[in-house]
Amino acid sequence: MKSEFLEAATQIEIDSVQKWKQNGGKIVGYTCSFMPVEPFHAAGILPVRLRGITAGSMEISDSYYGPFVCSFPKALLQLAGTGHYHFLDGAVISNGCDTLRRLDECWRKMGEDIKGSAPPWFHYFDVPHKPNGHAFDWYKNQVKKLITAIEAQFDVEITASKLKTAIKNQNQVRKLLWELERLRREDPVKISGTEAYAAIIAGTVMPLDRYRDSLSELIEDVRTRKTDIGKNKKRLFIGGSVCDDFELVSLVEQSDAVVVGENVCFGVRNENDRVRETKEPLTAITEKYLSGSVCPRMMGWYKQRAGMIIDKVKQTHADGVILQNIRFCDLHGSENGLLERDLEKSSVPSLRIEREHGPLTETGRLKMRFDAFVEQLVQSVSV
Amino acid sequence: MSIVAGFDVGSLTTKAIILKNKKILGAAMIRSGPRPVASAAKVLEKLLDETGIHQADIIKAVGTGYGREKITFIDKAVSEISCHGKGAQWLIPSARTIIDIGGQDCKVIRLDKQGNLIKFITNDKCASGTGRFLDVMAKVMNIDVSELGKLSVKSTEPITFASMCTVWAQADVIKHINSRKSVEDICAGINTAMANRVAMLTNAIKIENDICMTGGVAKNAGVVKALGKLLGCRIKQIKKVDPQLIGAIGAALFAQEMVLKKSSSS
Amino acid sequence: MRPELKEYNLDKLFAGTFMVARNLGSSTPGEIKNVLKYTPYVGGLLEPVLATGKPSITFFDLFYDYYSNIINAEENGKKVVMTTFCFDPSVFYAIDNLVPVTLEIGTALTTMLWKRGSSDFMDYCTEIGFSETGCSSQRGAMGAYLAGLGAKIDLVALNMGGVCDTNANAYNFAAQYLDIPYFGLDYPSELTTEEVREYHHKDYRGLINFLQENTGCKFDINRLREVLEEKKKQDVLMNEIEEMQRLVPNPVPGIYHIMIYAARYIYSGKIKFTKLLGEMVDVVRENAKNGRSGLKNGVEKNRTFLVYIDNYALGTAMFQWFEKKGISHMGNILSRTFSQDAPYTTGVPGTTYNIDTTNLDTMIDSLADINARMPMTRTIRGPYDAPNMWLEDSLSLAKQYSADCCLYNGTPGCRNTWSNVKLLSRDLEAMGYPTHIAYGDSFDPRVETWESTETRLEEFYQIRGLL
Repeated sequence: MKSEFLEAATQIEIDSVQKWKQNGGKIVGYTCSFMPVEPFHAAGILPVRLRGITAGSMEISDSYYGPFVCSFPKALLQLAGTGHYHFLDGAVISNGCDTLRRLDECWRKMGEDIKGSAPPWFHYFDVPHKPNGHAFDWYKNQVKKLITAIEAQFDVEITASKLKTAIKNQNQVRKLLWELERLRREDPVKISGTEAYAAIIAGTVMPLDRYRDSLSELIEDVRTRKTDIGKNKKRLFIGGSVCDDFELVSLVEQSDAVVVGENVCFGVRNENDRVRETKEPLTAITEKYLSGSVCPRMMGWYKQRAGMIIDKVKQTHADGVILQNIRFCDLHGSENGLLERDLEKSSVPSLRIEREHGPLTETGRLKMRFDAFVEQLVQSVSV
Repeated sequence: MSIVAGFDVGSLTTKAIILKNKKILGAAMIRSGPRPVASAAKVLEKLLDETGIHQADIIKAVGTGYGREKITFIDKAVSEISCHGKGAQWLIPSARTIIDIGGQDCKVIRLDKQGNLIKFITNDKCASGTGRFLDVMAKVMNIDVSELGKLSVKSTEPITFASMCTVWAQADVIKHINSRKSVEDICAGINTAMANRVAMLTNAIKIENDICMTGGVAKNAGVVKALGKLLGCRIKQIKKVDPQLIGAIGAALFAQEMVLKKSSSS
Repeated sequence: MRPELKEYNLDKLFAGTFMVARNLGSSTPGEIKNVLKYTPYVGGLLEPVLATGKPSITFFDLFYDYYSNIINAEENGKKVVMTTFCFDPSVFYAIDNLVPVTLEIGTALTTMLWKRGSSDFMDYCTEIGFSETGCSSQRGAMGAYLAGLGAKIDLVALNMGGVCDTNANAYNFAAQYLDIPYFGLDYPSELTTEEVREYHHKDYRGLINFLQENTGCKFDINRLREVLEEKKKQDVLMNEIEEMQRLVPNPVPGIYHIMIYAARYIYSGKIKFTKLLGEMVDVVRENAKNGRSGLKNGVEKNRTFLVYIDNYALGTAMFQWFEKKGISHMGNILSRTFSQDAPYTTGVPGTTYNIDTTNLDTMIDSLADINARMPMTRTIRGPYDAPNMWLEDSLSLAKQYSADCCLYNGTPGCRNTWSNVKLLSRDLEAMGYPTHIAYGDSFDPRVETWESTETRLEEFYQIRGLL
């Protein structure tokens, strides 16, 4: 595994982030894949996806968040409260879900109590729960507002030309990510899910140019590998709640399995998952980010989403699907129930798992379930 | 015919079984210690002592339960789910749905006619619906957990427990004791509360007859009765062996399969 | 679910219960006493409501009407739409062949009236794949409908997108499970901007198209006008009760809150609701004229404003406890309408709604505005400390109604409020309002029994010297 991808997947403040700051660069954190990164790249700002990995306890976030809520935003808040996000110059909070959107006020209030724990700038990016008509216009306007806010806060100008360049650059990365996905689907399997997922996550926190070059190198390397990681292993697909922790993928793969694809809010969805470069930038950005409905927050679009997921599962030739949700994530928790039903109708076995976000303290419990699921897929124990 | 062994290192008890020629030569169960490897070694020692068999006689051994992969003297680790399924169907060939309620978790397993695992579901939430719930309630009542079933069958007016949380339910038990409700009625209420939780899990997997139970809680006649009523089905009881041993039996059966597979390929 | 429960149709049980209850108006006190003797669980609601006199019979009659509409829907060639309490149903009553069923009302009633509450139905939802941690307010009745133990549902229409994920998600699940059409209105986090107003209006037109397509019926404009004009009358009456609530002592009986909002959520725009309100106004006016408290024992020791919802987990236990303690219920988030003439409006443009029945367009816009200002859709859509959101609303209402303290009741499924109730509570305390957060589930006593909730309430009121 590339060391910088491993670093990016396992640490919050990575080497490239430190260098960016040392060179006078600005960094803005964001919570949700519905937020477009292109305006930040156009402004010369590094957008960094906020993650909850390494949060060991929740005593700070418990002072702001109540109980009965998803541990992912709590982990983000905890890390911010303990200074792990000190390098941020701003944060954009989106309404990915109710708990995540309340990170906005929880973090601001924490900032009043714990000096330095909140960045100097917060922006709320209001994403509609529908993809078309007036919702499309609303999102486009939100992007405009985001651009205006970035320009005002950071004293920069985001021209149409800079935006187009940013779109082009990000699309190059998306193309590479799609190539990675394609390679993962091949037989023999030349890259483990752990390694691939670490690479995917790294793309949300590393500077674009550096990431693009490293990803290209990885892809070239994978193409030439002579290994078969998938031999005698079951091919699994992971879906469900946000998963910023590649250790979960690693745990799954310890059960004689290889993870060949995911439908979580990282990575690219399909080969057309790009911002169209021939269209007016804001319209093109809106089309890409608001369409496709990968997330159950887009209510009323389950059938399309299920169809897309089942298609993806079949294309990866997965033997089974792990549908995971973080405890109290009702969006995925319930949709996983429907997906389980529909996957079974399509003769694809699935396993529903509920977990806490955070350091994998439940590894024994989870592993037993993954082991049993693989055994189910194998249907007999081999020598 | 080869001698094989199966080990099940659970949260509360560690079990071991020795099989030969489809017969159980010996079975042992001890309280689990903090280290699963040590517990497995201890139960093995006990079993060898009781049966007079030497460890070298054991051709293949399979381990299951928490910490199974750390046991050094096994040939393979298999999940408890597969082992409980295998063991239960060996004893009750018509079993298609197995409900295993252990000390710390609860699982419902669906098998096909050939004994293949079709689907399973586990309790992911909390202690209610596990043996721990009964342990805690028995402690509050100052009785042995094994008494819960025996006392509940004499109940005439089972208490309905308002809370399903193990912590809050303790307060409810104390309240009922202070209100001089009969111990039989309280026991029946505890068993029913437990059965309610398990029934919800079981119904989520679309049960198929015959249903049987494994794990320590299967010995609680009150839970078995209440669960059967809630599911609207008769639960077949494993009588030939202690239901707590099913996991270890299943592990031993998997060890037996390994031997057969090896000999057929050679 | 216990097999024996599959023998009962929930809607028919309620229709039957309310049919009998509404006839109690012609019963003697002795006869009523006998009825209550044999209905220990239903009596938990019957008794306190009957004590309110004339409005009680209208209340039972209204609910009988509502449930008989539902049980007779199929036979009468009507479609049944599953909706949420925050969705004003008046639009449905403008369509000839449509009958609404509101899940949360069904859950509250089942929880209050049945021995084991609605827990069996809640568990059934988990059995069929719905998340167990989802809000109990939907799960109770939803389980019954998804198990086929209620009316056949033909479509789902609601308005919680952007406000309450767990609510919108539950209805979405139901629609997918039953494989029926679904429409959800969506709410951005702002309330008063022109942009969001336009968004609401366009979104609502999408709903109208959806309803027309899925019921095969055109909107009857005259009927819609009739319904909205009736709603205007209802707003006037509710506003009068809200205004009188400011008096010390508060002349409004505590149980009126749940009676008003429960009826509003199912029968807004219908004449029987106007009748109910009119009768209540008479009682409250009489109390006000005589300087009498709405509490049965007449002695008001405390005025508590509930920042969220009530507790229904053991009949009307919370209301009874308030009565026992001399605590005046100053309303909750469910009580408020935010019509433009409501006494608690702040004068900030865009925060209230106005009903304009000039033409179809103005009426649809009015409906859109009403729905955007229903409980939850208004108050908890944006950051809690944003203008006109939870903190401001709570503070202005607490002040308006001279509250001595604030109380939060909710459900563990409410991700929205549990993500910021500690912040709210902190700010309310800082502004001088002792605030208690109850950790129970308003619809599911298995989470925390009423006895435990009560113990904590006792502690709070005692330690903070509030009684």
